[in-house]
Amino acid sequence: MLSARDRLLVFMSNFELSIKKQEMILESLDDFSVDSVLSNPVALQILTREELHKMAESYDRHALDSAIENMQKNGIKLVTIFNDDYPEKLKDLPDRPLLLYAKGDLSLANKKSIGMVGTRMPSNYGRIVAEKFAGKLAESGLVIVSGLCYGIDEISHRKTLESGGKTIAVVGSGFASIYPATNAVLAEEIAQKGLLLSEYPPSFKAKRYTFPRRNRIIAGLSDGVLIVEAGFKSGTVHTKEYALEYGKDIFAVPGNITSSKSELTNALIKSGQAECTLSPNEIIDFYGMKKTSKQKVAVLSFDEQNIVSLLQDGEKDFDFLARKSKIPVNILNSCLTTLEIRGLIRKLPAQTYALV
Amino acid sequence: MLSKVKSFGLMGIDGFLTQIETDIVGGVPHFDIVGLGDTAVKEAKERVKSAIRNSGFDYPVKHYTINLAPADIKKEGPFYDLGIAVGILSATKQIKAKKYEDFVFIGELSLDGSVKKVRGVLPILISARKMGYTKFILPKENSEEAKFIDGMEIYTFSHLVDIVKFLNDENESPVEKLQTKSFDEVSKTHKNRLDFENVKGQAQAKRALEIAAAGGHNVLMIGPPGSGKSMLAKCFAGILPDLTFEEALEVTKIHSIAGELDLKTGIITERPFRSPHHTASIVSMTGGGTNSKPGEISLAHNGVLFLDEFPEYSRSLIETLRQPLEDGYITIARANQTVTYPASFTLVASMNPCPCGNYGSKDRECRCSPAQIHKYLSKISGPIMDRIDIQVEVDSVSYRDLNKDEKEESSAEIKKRVDRAREVQLERFKNSKNFSNAKMSVPQTKKFCSLSKECQSLMEQAFNSLKLSARAHDRILRVARTIADLDGEENILPQHLAEAISYRGLDRKYWSV
Repeated sequence: MLSARDRLLVFMSNFELSIKKQEMILESLDDFSVDSVLSNPVALQILTREELHKMAESYDRHALDSAIENMQKNGIKLVTIFNDDYPEKLKDLPDRPLLLYAKGDLSLANKKSIGMVGTRMPSNYGRIVAEKFAGKLAESGLVIVSGLCYGIDEISHRKTLESGGKTIAVVGSGFASIYPATNAVLAEEIAQKGLLLSEYPPSFKAKRYTFPRRNRIIAGLSDGVLIVEAGFKSGTVHTKEYALEYGKDIFAVPGNITSSKSELTNALIKSGQAECTLSPNEIIDFYGMKKTSKQKVAVLSFDEQNIVSLLQDGEKDFDFLARKSKIPVNILNSCLTTLEIRGLIRKLPAQTYALV
Repeated sequence: MLSKVKSFGLMGIDGFLTQIETDIVGGVPHFDIVGLGDTAVKEAKERVKSAIRNSGFDYPVKHYTINLAPADIKKEGPFYDLGIAVGILSATKQIKAKKYEDFVFIGELSLDGSVKKVRGVLPILISARKMGYTKFILPKENSEEAKFIDGMEIYTFSHLVDIVKFLNDENESPVEKLQTKSFDEVSKTHKNRLDFENVKGQAQAKRALEIAAAGGHNVLMIGPPGSGKSMLAKCFAGILPDLTFEEALEVTKIHSIAGELDLKTGIITERPFRSPHHTASIVSMTGGGTNSKPGEISLAHNGVLFLDEFPEYSRSLIETLRQPLEDGYITIARANQTVTYPASFTLVASMNPCPCGNYGSKDRECRCSPAQIHKYLSKISGPIMDRIDIQVEVDSVSYRDLNKDEKEESSAEIKKRVDRAREVQLERFKNSKNFSNAKMSVPQTKKFCSLSKECQSLMEQAFNSLKLSARAHDRILRVARTIADLDGEENILPQHLAEAISYRGLDRKYWSV
């Protein structure tokens, strides 16, 4: 059963009120029924006319009750700042959300975690780095926090799940209208195996401003933020700002100086705001997590060894491999697939292959 | 006076016998053609009248009734001009002998009396031979295509006067009947097709096309603009097995009906390569229209249909390919008739990886948003993707590859291997309807693509680690079968399976990320 205060917060979450306003309303009330908000003279001073009008118009006691019941039936937990299971790390932040919609294992929010953020359109380099870091960090026991968007977010979540790690996705929309819609299945998987968080009611559609807003929760929930690949225009800039404000550790992976997609990471490293990070182990050591033992040495055929050694100094395309290794095309094709199935190499777009 | 002359018309890709009955009586001068003719048939009246007069024959002022029997089949085109003229000349006793009754007449008349070519002579002859009609009089221009049908007695003429002389036995020297030509004779002379020899690099794509040719698989090539997708597709037709005579006749038949036949060779000896533009209408692709003609997919019968920039074609057009890809023919139903055209082709499609084309490119940056890319790729529906066995990525060739001196393998060498693999398949499917691995039914796939324990575990690992979709399973098996055939192996080995898996690029995770 939700307390009256919690119910009031659920009701207010529908109207995009600022955290400050919500707090002021809570302070001004003695009893937390919605009716008293709508009639309370102090509340009338806090809220604008339109807001009040909208609230009064849409308020229906029974509808609110059945909406809450519905959400609980669908496994959505309503966690307010007054509850015990509200994430510790968020509690003291200046603009912490008063209400969180959550699906999955809430205890993950209190574990050592690292936020992985970056561009929505990573280069091949960004992909490789994201996969490598997400896999290793997840294996070490760190919880990977990200935003379920395209690109670095999605890769980080997927790779974490793949390596059997734990991940938290903070979304800028309601659970019923995940953006991008193609990641709805991934969201469901994260709800099952990790934690899905939002400060918006289920039917809320993502808006431009909600993405930077949810970034503050990502920054807040993470002990450190790892920026994988991002340019100056990326939304990652907001995450970095919040992380600085909250005093979190910032890690950045350096990139090519000619690539517009590495502008931010390189600049942060140069200015000293971020720790220059070259390997996942540096982060694992920083947090004192356990390093995974070296992978078993794979038994490779002669041709496979040949391919692996050619890939040693970076990604290569098919024609290059065919020319240098002198392996017939059909054999090369099957070797590459076998290596990929065994998890030793990774196929990238445009016939390009790289070591994992 | 009454006369009856035999002629043939076209329905779909088959000919049908038409009796031209001419009745000339006295009375009010009049000319009428009955028997469901289209405008071209109705207009025969004017052509025939002028042709008869200008050839120096009489055209008495009388009441003419021409009946084209059977009266319930629509008749299209100018096939009947010659028959009508012969009918009138015999009804007016200008052709005296009864010899004309043995012959079938097909041809269009010019106002000066010369006989002009018509489309569809080959399919008519094939149907006629089946029905037992072997004596024909045809336009001289159609000689070449008629030469390939043996067991016929065909005479070709270029002027009405010569025909009348022939029928009246007034020639000074005997008229030679048309000599038949053997298919092997012409099929040896190959045109200059693009050769794989001239394509530098692109090893993976070439290999994929070789497999596609060997097993009759449909292919999708994905790559940035300027990576040579069209070039590869054009070369592809050159490594397909040679047309057999029966196949050649089928192809020629369709092209003859569409009026696209090269009159010099008469028969098509090479597999057709059709590449309709993406603005093509549905009717131009499937065939049909008021005067039903075969569309691009039928013209590609026994050959290659190349669709460049696949997602640019309208969605409804792509969906119409579903039936032909599955059944090998297309049935077009229109208000007054239903025709079936053969359309068994290998589909070679190409597309960019994203709207701007640079997604995943090494040296150019892609400017598309993930949502745009997703939208672009989703224009090709699952059911269509299901019918494409091989998906291969093509990347732009580096300058180094372009300038290297190493000789690339020629199409002829690749074709040898393809031919061998096809022989294996002919043997395998000799008692069934299909004749290529690509068209294997589910029970056949089970029977011919059984996997060893080792292969099964590889397949399982592949599905788990590469996140393949379930629909890829049978496709992979069929392609693996073809690769094993190319290798001359009885059983599918792990390396065959692994290679087959590598041609499922679009089923893979991260494609749209």
